[in-house]
Amino acid sequence: MMAKPKVAFFDFTCCEGCQIEFTNYGDAAFLELLKHVDVVEFREAMSEKTKDPIDIAFIEGSFSREADRPRLEDIRKRAKIVIAYGQCATTGGVNALKNHTKDYKQFVYQKDAAMPHLDSQKAVGVDQAIKVDYYAWGCPVNKYEVLQIVSHLLHGKEPVIPNYPVCVECKRRETICRYDVGDYCLGQTARAGCGAPCPADGIPCEACRGFVDQPNQDALVKVLSKRAGMPWGWAEGKSRMFTANQRGDAA
Amino acid sequence: MSSHFIKESDFAAFLAGLIKEKKVVGPVAKTSRQQEKFVFAQLERGEDLRLDYDVTILPPKKEFFPTQQDLVRFDGPRREGCVTPEEKVLFGVHFYDVKALDMTDLLFQERNDDRNYTARREAATVVISNIQKVSPRAFWSSIGAEIQPQGHDAWLSRIAGGYVLEPRTPKGAALLRFGKFATATPAQIAAARQANDAVAAQCPERLQGTSESNARKVRAAFGQEELWTKLAEDCFSCGSCNTVCPTCYCFDVQDWWNVDQKSGARTRYWDSCLTEDFAKISLGAGATENFRESRGERFRHRFMRKAAYLNEKLGGPACVGCGRCSAACTADIADPTAVINNIPEA
Repeated sequence: MMAKPKVAFFDFTCCEGCQIEFTNYGDAAFLELLKHVDVVEFREAMSEKTKDPIDIAFIEGSFSREADRPRLEDIRKRAKIVIAYGQCATTGGVNALKNHTKDYKQFVYQKDAAMPHLDSQKAVGVDQAIKVDYYAWGCPVNKYEVLQIVSHLLHGKEPVIPNYPVCVECKRRETICRYDVGDYCLGQTARAGCGAPCPADGIPCEACRGFVDQPNQDALVKVLSKRAGMPWGWAEGKSRMFTANQRGDAA
Repeated sequence: MSSHFIKESDFAAFLAGLIKEKKVVGPVAKTSRQQEKFVFAQLERGEDLRLDYDVTILPPKKEFFPTQQDLVRFDGPRREGCVTPEEKVLFGVHFYDVKALDMTDLLFQERNDDRNYTARREAATVVISNIQKVSPRAFWSSIGAEIQPQGHDAWLSRIAGGYVLEPRTPKGAALLRFGKFATATPAQIAAARQANDAVAAQCPERLQGTSESNARKVRAAFGQEELWTKLAEDCFSCGSCNTVCPTCYCFDVQDWWNVDQKSGARTRYWDSCLTEDFAKISLGAGATENFRESRGERFRHRFMRKAAYLNEKLGGPACVGCGRCSAACTADIADPTAVINNIPEA
């Protein structure tokens, strides 16, 4: 087993909600976890920072400004293992929703749109700047999956990160399919690993963990249109919220 | 064994007595937006039992081969097997699901006795119920019709005024003491037979050909790559067809540690050959290969397994016509009748 690894969290373009998830295990589990990892930088929970080598770097947020590249490269240089942490870091997440538009700045910032510090490029996953070893998908991450990724790394085991759709998890828990009740769902192309809580609660999967590696996007549009009755144009754009950079029409 | 009759008005007391003394699992309703579906679940009250169900989301296989099952639990160097036989009555299983259990019974015993399955299976009493409502995608009357269900302990049939219970084993006969059963009259026995026979004509879908001719033509179509690519065009590789299948038995095994990093479990999960990574294997030194990389290959593999590959071992196709796959496939391309009927004779 890996000796108490030094773990650090870094954030780029994001809401830092995935970092907050890491503090949501409850006291007992969190304090137990701290016996096995040495958290050396984690700005949501501590003020210390480090310039030293790190064993596991969790990088949260998308890469959306060229100016962030040196910082990402520095983390990569210092870290043995880099984990893209959360949907923004893995794929650009909701930040990437702007990628196919040109006028977002005017809409979002209005009179301040021209201010230089608001300038940004296309939002992409951090693997577009540095090599990433593992991906903790999700908006937010599934904190229990993260716990297992850490655990598997501690034990020298390859982390288990599903590449099958959410349908598998819905079926396993015998959730009534959203399509059977006249609803839509993106579960057929969405990456599982969340345990499919949304359809079980009666709401469609929005693919917040992005697509599986080989999503059948054409079939999704057909089924959204044919079975869920979505107008074709709506069906075509439907999956964009969390998958803008994974879609066939990624900007 | 002789047949027994219980009056409708005595049935609730029978169920209540059974539930009081034993763990009873049966079909119960689950609803979403007023849509009613059914699942096998432990009965808290007899009123929850829905013998008028059409089909359950998952087959009763899950009672013996759970979707997720610990095989070994460990704590440091201590290890403990997890063979957990639990006496239960599986009440109200349709005959096609018992035919599927016959298949998994064989598959989990051949060569290696899988005690995690067989111990649970042996501890169960299985009661068939006649089909009162046929599911919209069922085709059980036209597939493997020559094969009779074996692994059950009693067969319950609803007739006018009550139910006929036909025990098939001593375990099944042991259920009689829970209710006010009388010896069934020849007319009641005939009515029970009629109830089971009449429903066969109601199957909405039909598989043409015989088990042999279908096995032959599906096998012969193996090399028609364009055919399978076309059939799988809308396949999501979502594994729904596998996951709801009563005869699928593949699983994956993973180790998990608890947060203390000392204790944990080796767990098996249902796996699915339609999903992309199922056939992804290690070549060593970090390299991998996927020996069924395309959707068409995976789609074809399912039909080979269901219609041809296992037939010699099982005595017929590895499909019982429950129609769960057809209903679960949102693209509606998984229906065995639609696919197999359209493959030309070899």
